[in-house]
Amino acid sequence: MEVSVIGSSQATVCTSELVHGEQRFCVPRRRSSVSFFHPGTRWSNSGLRFTLNAIQAEPFRSDNLSIRGCASRSKSLDDVRLFVGLPFDAVSECNTINHAKAISAGLKALKLLGVEGVEMPVWWGIAEKEAMGKYKWEGYLTLAEMVQDAGLKLHVSLCFHANEELKIPLPEWVSRIGESDPGIFFADRSGHHFRECLSLAVDDLPVLDGKTPVQVYQQFCKSFKSSFSGFMGSTIIGIKMGLGPNGELRFPSHSRVGKSCKILGVGEFQCYDKNMLNFLKQHAEATGNPLWGFGGPHDAPSYDQMPNSNSFFKDHGGSWESPYGNFFLSWYSSQLLSHGNRLLSLASDEFGGSTVTTYGEVPLIHSLFKTRSHPCELTAGFYNTDNRDGYEAVAEMFARNSCKMILPGMNLSDEHQPQESLSSPELLLAQIRTACRKYGVVVSGQNSLVSKASHHFEKMRKNVLGENVVDSFTYQRMGAEFFSPEHFPAFTEFVRSLNLPEKHADDLPEEEEEVAESLQRSSESSIQMQAA
Amino acid sequence: MSTVTIEPLLRYLRRERPLCRCRTKILKPSSLNFSPKLLSNGANTSFCNFKPRRPHIIRASSTDTALLETFKSTDGFFKETFPLTLTQMVEGKIFIRLDKDQNQQCWQLSVGCSLPGKWILHWGVSYVDDVGSEWDQPPKSMRPPGSVCIKDYAMETPLKKSSDGEIFHEVKINLDPKSSIAAINFVLKDEETGAWYQHRGRDFKMPLVDYLRNDGKVAGAKRGFNLWSGFFLPKMLFKAKELPSNDQGSSSESKGATQENRQVEGFYEEHPIAKQVVIQNSATVSVTKCPKTAKNLLYLETDLPGKVVVHWGVCRDDAKNWEIPAGPYPPETTVFKNKALRTPLQPKDGGNGCSGLFTLDQEFVGFLFVLKLNEDTWLKCKKNDFHIPLSSSGSLPAQPGQGQSEGALVSEKTVEANQEVSQTASSKGIINDIRNLVNGISSRRRTKKKEAQESILHEIEKLAAEAYSIFRNSIPTFVSESEPQETPKICSGTGTGFEILLQGFNWESHKSGRWYMELKEKAVEISSLGFNVIWLPPPTESVSPEGYMPKDLYNLNSRYGSIDELKHLVKSLHEVGLKVLGDAVLNHRCAHFQNQNGVWNIFGGRLNWDERAIVADDPHFQGRGNKSSGDNFHAAPNIDHSQDFVRKDLKEWLCWLRDEIGYDGWRLDFARGFWGGYVKDYIDATEPYFAVGEYWDSLSYTCGEMDHNQDAHRQRIIDWINATNGTAGAFDVTTKGILHSALERCEYWRLSDKKGKPPGVVGWWPSRAVTFIENHDTGSTQGHWRFPSGKEMQGYAYILTHPGTPAVFYDHIFSHYQSEIASLISIRNRNKVHCRSTVKITKAERDVYAAIIDEKVAMKMGPGHYEPPRESQSWSVAIEAKDYKVWEAS
Repeated sequence: MEVSVIGSSQATVCTSELVHGEQRFCVPRRRSSVSFFHPGTRWSNSGLRFTLNAIQAEPFRSDNLSIRGCASRSKSLDDVRLFVGLPFDAVSECNTINHAKAISAGLKALKLLGVEGVEMPVWWGIAEKEAMGKYKWEGYLTLAEMVQDAGLKLHVSLCFHANEELKIPLPEWVSRIGESDPGIFFADRSGHHFRECLSLAVDDLPVLDGKTPVQVYQQFCKSFKSSFSGFMGSTIIGIKMGLGPNGELRFPSHSRVGKSCKILGVGEFQCYDKNMLNFLKQHAEATGNPLWGFGGPHDAPSYDQMPNSNSFFKDHGGSWESPYGNFFLSWYSSQLLSHGNRLLSLASDEFGGSTVTTYGEVPLIHSLFKTRSHPCELTAGFYNTDNRDGYEAVAEMFARNSCKMILPGMNLSDEHQPQESLSSPELLLAQIRTACRKYGVVVSGQNSLVSKASHHFEKMRKNVLGENVVDSFTYQRMGAEFFSPEHFPAFTEFVRSLNLPEKHADDLPEEEEEVAESLQRSSESSIQMQAA
Repeated sequence: MSTVTIEPLLRYLRRERPLCRCRTKILKPSSLNFSPKLLSNGANTSFCNFKPRRPHIIRASSTDTALLETFKSTDGFFKETFPLTLTQMVEGKIFIRLDKDQNQQCWQLSVGCSLPGKWILHWGVSYVDDVGSEWDQPPKSMRPPGSVCIKDYAMETPLKKSSDGEIFHEVKINLDPKSSIAAINFVLKDEETGAWYQHRGRDFKMPLVDYLRNDGKVAGAKRGFNLWSGFFLPKMLFKAKELPSNDQGSSSESKGATQENRQVEGFYEEHPIAKQVVIQNSATVSVTKCPKTAKNLLYLETDLPGKVVVHWGVCRDDAKNWEIPAGPYPPETTVFKNKALRTPLQPKDGGNGCSGLFTLDQEFVGFLFVLKLNEDTWLKCKKNDFHIPLSSSGSLPAQPGQGQSEGALVSEKTVEANQEVSQTASSKGIINDIRNLVNGISSRRRTKKKEAQESILHEIEKLAAEAYSIFRNSIPTFVSESEPQETPKICSGTGTGFEILLQGFNWESHKSGRWYMELKEKAVEISSLGFNVIWLPPPTESVSPEGYMPKDLYNLNSRYGSIDELKHLVKSLHEVGLKVLGDAVLNHRCAHFQNQNGVWNIFGGRLNWDERAIVADDPHFQGRGNKSSGDNFHAAPNIDHSQDFVRKDLKEWLCWLRDEIGYDGWRLDFARGFWGGYVKDYIDATEPYFAVGEYWDSLSYTCGEMDHNQDAHRQRIIDWINATNGTAGAFDVTTKGILHSALERCEYWRLSDKKGKPPGVVGWWPSRAVTFIENHDTGSTQGHWRFPSGKEMQGYAYILTHPGTPAVFYDHIFSHYQSEIASLISIRNRNKVHCRSTVKITKAERDVYAAIIDEKVAMKMGPGHYEPPRESQSWSVAIEAKDYKVWEAS
């Protein structure tokens, strides 16, 4: 009886799918899957949620591969899968596991806490350290096995960048090439090279012993996929494609974001390596302004300066609003977008057919967000100002590649930002999420630092359980501080607090009545669906 | 077939502990604190000591069905009966009734109990003129036949089995209206188990005074009363919030009220109780071979009541890896996570038990199963799966497919999706089990089980601490951005986890008048011995020279020295790296002045409180505050912490001590005296580095012999720590008590509880347990409960190698034991044993106890022989002395 009711609404949904043709809307899967395949205790809940969703009738483009759906008003840990990042240096340069005992204890603790899984950074500089195509997966395989043994899931982050602070380098052979040809790295106005990742300008240039970086990344992904085939889809359920500095989709406009606790300056445009300059020149000539192709804006401030210290970013009358400004910023941001598109389409080619979800990370560059020009975002490659939404194009690009978007900084709140930073993590996050919603990109949350401060957890809780859709949340990152007695209890509390709504629902005493009620409601909802 | 002893364990018993474990905030004037005779008798101890000597056996009589007969006759090649022991919580009621006897002449008090057992009423009376809370013996006329005198203050009267047919026990006491008895106090004791059943951790008390005429006030002895014209059972008796079957407070009260308005007819009250009983069942498995199909037929039957699900699989070799055979399966079989099958057994015709028949291909050599009674109860075979070999010798026919009826589908809870983890088949069992429990915590509040929850949280805490210690100690390959490697973290309940505490005084320390100066000279020595926390004596002006009868809290000139000397001492202690704990006596305070009645209850000094700051339920001091939230200390006015102004003043005082003197934390005197929640308040306000409370009450004894199981005792301490929200640790009195018995009587088996963990608080919540063997009260020149003489070093070998935060007594460190204690401390520090270290008890026998801590330190004590296992690690002797020995992994 009840199945047929839901079945009919499901049919309606399918119809709407057909109607919408190309733009394939579909209902969050949880609705159907729960109703059909788990007719047990959760039934009543799902019936209830079904109603809400149906009335809301807000279509989501949900990923085929996702096991759970995305849209649901009353969320709980059950909906939001919580992950915790493994230490950056979990696998050492010589492919052994650092502090394996601690990790194994940590994994057990997380499992007991009810955490879904962990995130494992896989470093290019470690797995393909010695020579191109010579992959060493042993360390990561061991780690993956530990995770599997602990009964946890795994999100893998493919890190094609280095991290000097963590002393994790690029592959030795890449560094060697870089020494003779620093043009493969980003450069700033003063010619300083950023050596933590390759410039996006070389993506399709055969700079690596005759191969292009994209080809090398692709081989890396292929090898990873075959080496970890036993884990794919079972333990490994998500793969994050490294997109740039720190794995994020951006230019290294701040040599290290968040390094100092001082107020961030505007950063610098990173368009001065020879290949970038080359592209800029071509682009300028093609658009009929050859004089604009010699370099970046001459009147941009330098890294740590504030927007008003030069004329480019000035709130009023800044050259960012001039035709030149628009020319440059459009080109600069499109470079980042097409780079992102290259790598994400590579990722969805490699992993899309399997049972894992692909992710890319977009940074939350919230400094100076309250100025009109958003200088920090501009230098990082997001053409997002008071006049222009720079994130829609990003979201569209993610949607095009069926990629989920990782958004960090879910723990940040405006009130705890220094006044002078003119920053607004909350507004920026809301903006990006709006763009994602528009294009049906599923968002996965992340925090930006380990902190015991309760407002961080409160913010995360709100972001995770709030109205907005988050399919998973990755808490960064395991380590001494994470397990320290001043932090871990707060984290435990956070995890358990995510669970409360669920508890509440299960505690409803009269199950049978509830079923009857939801039956009634779901038939109502089916009527509404048909009417709509 | 080899027969193994079967000991299926009941995994997770999900039932709240019975009522008397509930911490109550409500107080009544019948506390038993600090009365030595009571302590020794254990009248205040609780039950929960389940050591059934004569287990209650409910065994289904063997009514074999015809089918079974068939099997018997077919001469299967395997048949075995496994006994199944199931410990179960049985609920029942205690009945208390007051009514007139048949002649309507005499009042009679009946106490009954509906549970099986050998019940004893342990009781005494209070007379009208009594001021204290102690019991007296009832007059001879009141004593029912069979009563036995217990010392000079109590009676023990067995409950008789009434003829009602049910398992109902009852005792009747005739009340003599002419006597001046104010109240009858009792607890119920189960001789079988040695368990005591109290009312929410306290005695049942039945005042026999006129309730109506006094307008509800129970103001103690001065009041006139009129026997038998009314009765009053204190409100608290009705307030059994957590207890389901009791009428709730309000209704009971109103019921009581209406009765009182009329002619008193009687009084009747029920209290739910629960008791663990051991139930013996069995499961019989027989295997035969079907000649036609060459398949094995396995018949499983059991007399377990209720629904039984067989969770089963097969294996191909001795490795016993679970595998799912090809179908067909018995009806209603479901596949569980692709790893096992679940088949509900079908009830047998006679109604006793159930059975199932399984057809198995001959390629399999074994049938593996466990029995699942409900979500949380699994029966296993000695912690392992049952394994039935399927050899292929027999060849007699049997009828397949019988014995099943079309029962209702056993509704199996859908496994939560996030639980569906693909795991390699081996060794994940434990994690899964615990995981189930975690799910239980998160999603089944109604049925959550405190102990399970605690054990998981503790497990998580332990794992996190382990991870922390390794991460922290490994050379950091990077410094995380926001973390400028600061001082190790601290929380008041545990400090850093690496504390070793010295009690920096004894009962005589005040005598010289310059203790602070003397101690200051020893500061460097104390620090070099390896201590990092020192507990100083109470600093305030005090009526008694030792400082425990404080008067003016802001006057810190005491018999130990002046306030300036104290500051200097604290400063020098800080200089040598010692944290300093102040001894905060918060429970009571001596008054400066008498009130108009001549009662000492007016305070002076900066905190010039009056009788409103004193608890109302101690008639000595005529307090006008609320009733005490804990036990009363009768020698001085007990402060009423429930009032905001009192707490505000005390917080101010504690903060002042922190700032002015430089104390880093607190040792809280007589923490039984007030609710732990107030302690949390004080701790939160003062943010100490470390805090430990003295929650000292008696262990449970049966016939003068200490019970092996002291769970009730340690639970009371845990409850207190819980009430403080874990912001304070507590002295592990349980461990001390158990060490007494173990060492004194050479009963080292006592040092492991039934789960193989340390039997004290340290076994349950190590990070909050401050282990000690002696203090100024138990030892020194008072000697209220002295550690077995000559065994002190064994005690220290235990606490200094084990988790928990060890505390060393002044008299011991400055004695001939110094070098030995110092060696043990350095072993502890060297191996970074901390309050959350793991302890694996490797031996707990009559004459030897041995344990391995963190896989780094091994220790044994007792005359028996022990050597740590050398397979995986090599050990070198770190210290060897009389009756104990400590090794370090090398």
